[in-house]
Amino acid sequence: MNGHDPMKSQEAGLVARLLSYVFLLLASVGLFISASGIATSRFEKLGAGAFPKIIFATMAIVSAIAIIDALRQIPRRAYGDFAAQAVAWAKRCYLVFVCLGALTAYLLTIPLLGFSIASLIFLFVLQVILMPRTPKSIALAAVVAVVFSFGLNWLFAEVFTVFLPRGVL
Amino acid sequence: MTDFMTGAAQIFTLATLAYMLAGSVAGIVAAAIPGFTVTMAIVLTLPLTFTMEPLQGIAVMLSVYVGGYTGGLISAALLGIPGTPSSVATTFDAFPMARNGEPGRALSIGVWASFFGTVISTIVLIFAAPPLALFAVRLGPWEYFSLIVFALTIVASLVGTSAMRGILAGLIGLAISTVGTDPIMGRPRFDFGIEMLQAGLPFLVVLIGIFAISQLVSEVENADSVRSGNALVTGAIDFQTWTVMKEVLMRPVNLLRSSIIGVLIGALPGAGGSIANLVAYDQAKRGSKNSEKFGTGEPDGIVASEAGNSATAGGGLIPLIGLGIPGSAVDAILMASLMVHGISVGPRLILDHGDLVYGMFIAMVVASFMMLIVSIFSMRLFLRVTEVPKWLIVPVVMTCCVVGTFALNNRVTDLYLLIFIGITGYTLRALGYALAPLVLGVILGPIAETNLRRALMTDEDPTLFFTRPISLIFLIAAFVSIVWAVRSHLKNRTSTERPTHAPTS
Repeated sequence: MNGHDPMKSQEAGLVARLLSYVFLLLASVGLFISASGIATSRFEKLGAGAFPKIIFATMAIVSAIAIIDALRQIPRRAYGDFAAQAVAWAKRCYLVFVCLGALTAYLLTIPLLGFSIASLIFLFVLQVILMPRTPKSIALAAVVAVVFSFGLNWLFAEVFTVFLPRGVL
Repeated sequence: MTDFMTGAAQIFTLATLAYMLAGSVAGIVAAAIPGFTVTMAIVLTLPLTFTMEPLQGIAVMLSVYVGGYTGGLISAALLGIPGTPSSVATTFDAFPMARNGEPGRALSIGVWASFFGTVISTIVLIFAAPPLALFAVRLGPWEYFSLIVFALTIVASLVGTSAMRGILAGLIGLAISTVGTDPIMGRPRFDFGIEMLQAGLPFLVVLIGIFAISQLVSEVENADSVRSGNALVTGAIDFQTWTVMKEVLMRPVNLLRSSIIGVLIGALPGAGGSIANLVAYDQAKRGSKNSEKFGTGEPDGIVASEAGNSATAGGGLIPLIGLGIPGSAVDAILMASLMVHGISVGPRLILDHGDLVYGMFIAMVVASFMMLIVSIFSMRLFLRVTEVPKWLIVPVVMTCCVVGTFALNNRVTDLYLLIFIGITGYTLRALGYALAPLVLGVILGPIAETNLRRALMTDEDPTLFFTRPISLIFLIAAFVSIVWAVRSHLKNRTSTERPTHAPTS
């Protein structure tokens, strides 16, 4: 298993979840306060802010319980290991970050380059990064990239009359 | 009867049938690819159906749905990897049978069981949905609000590895639904001055980001598996189609029992194919005379799992058509697609749009026939689908997600929203939050809020939620489901939680 300790990474997972509960608690308290500022019309018993307040109050209670529950489960040493484990996890899953990064770059360049060109580049580059590189697979990736960029653009324009972004270039 | 004929007339047109055929193929192909779930396939089909008539669009999506439950069988039987979470139990017997030199028989048994499962569930649906709707139109806003509370708590406690995170996910979904103008007075909420948020978060963008993007990204977590190919079962494959049909029909008890289990589980909010196949398999094993053979290639095991998961398709439509409450993520998408066409889904659906509802019933039956025909004639081709490598699928499907998101509103800002929601969705998935409650929260939030506020506008007395009997029953049921979840959580306390990710369909 890539030389990592499953027990330790499981504990790090518990700490990560604890952090998510803390985040949810803070967010729900903040949003609860912000929902209190929404004005209520005098024609109704419950105003526009009431339903959100119910949700955020429940969320705050549930995440508080989750925090207490998590604190009891997590052994003390797990906190010290957390940073190292998180880095190890990120290294194991580096392709996740590559994919999300590529997708972000792709979406940001669509308005600039237009759908077809941006997709062509995104598809080809991401496939090449992910694949075991052989001449055959690279050729296949090139064909796939053309079909799902210019081909898809053509299909949507001609068949569904949906015009994908053209770009400014 | 007129409604029935109108519905039939809309389904039996050349264009609709052709689209449905394409939908069946797409569903089977998509679900045969490991890592590509039925839910994802339907999410991606949705934008393509916008230009169609409402019934035509929903018929295509039902074909993808029915096809998808069958497609999961292919990789389950041949690779031992469930193509979708709903075919986990199929691997128990179909894979050993394929390994023992009968891959064709294993596939055929699965296809026939799926077919009969879908047909049986449609029959139940036809008889169960209209009376439920007649009952539901008499419910007031109090009952409706309590029903939604019940639906959300049961979803949250059933799906995923932790009830606590399930409930939190449902609440996050509800919170997302409150962004934008409020449903009664149109007052702006939580837009933080950002123009994009003023109309609220578009449900379908949330759906694509949460389900498709996060699923795709999680497929590349293990770098080694991305770069290697899967070996397929080799050798001659003989499907023995007709002999197998008789073989499946010779097990009427198992077939009926598994289908009924599938229908019941499908009708329960939150539980779907991913639970039904395991329960049906378990029941078949208990009821069988040769239960020791289960797990070694026993036909009854395949029949139970496949009939069970396919029958949830019809079962899930019962609360959707009867109450306007989607029971699963897939049903929520079907509901959203009707809403895109301006049709409000609720108990009045069957009264106001009878042709549409009957058309859906007919479409279910037609879709299962299509699935059968497509599977019988082109199973050999689909065997190659399981060979499509992940490095190709992930980027291509991501591009399809981008196109789908853009095509919804023709807005570039939706694309920025997509990446934000995709990253959030992946983070939640990696932390072990179930995503189905979140999606149901987003779609049920406005319905719950409208009914809650309407109830209090009709009568200021909040105790009516507890004094009206049906409302009280739903609230008690919601309470029981939470207590039950907390109890099982405390029971599992000693055994450490597994860090696996929750199935999402």
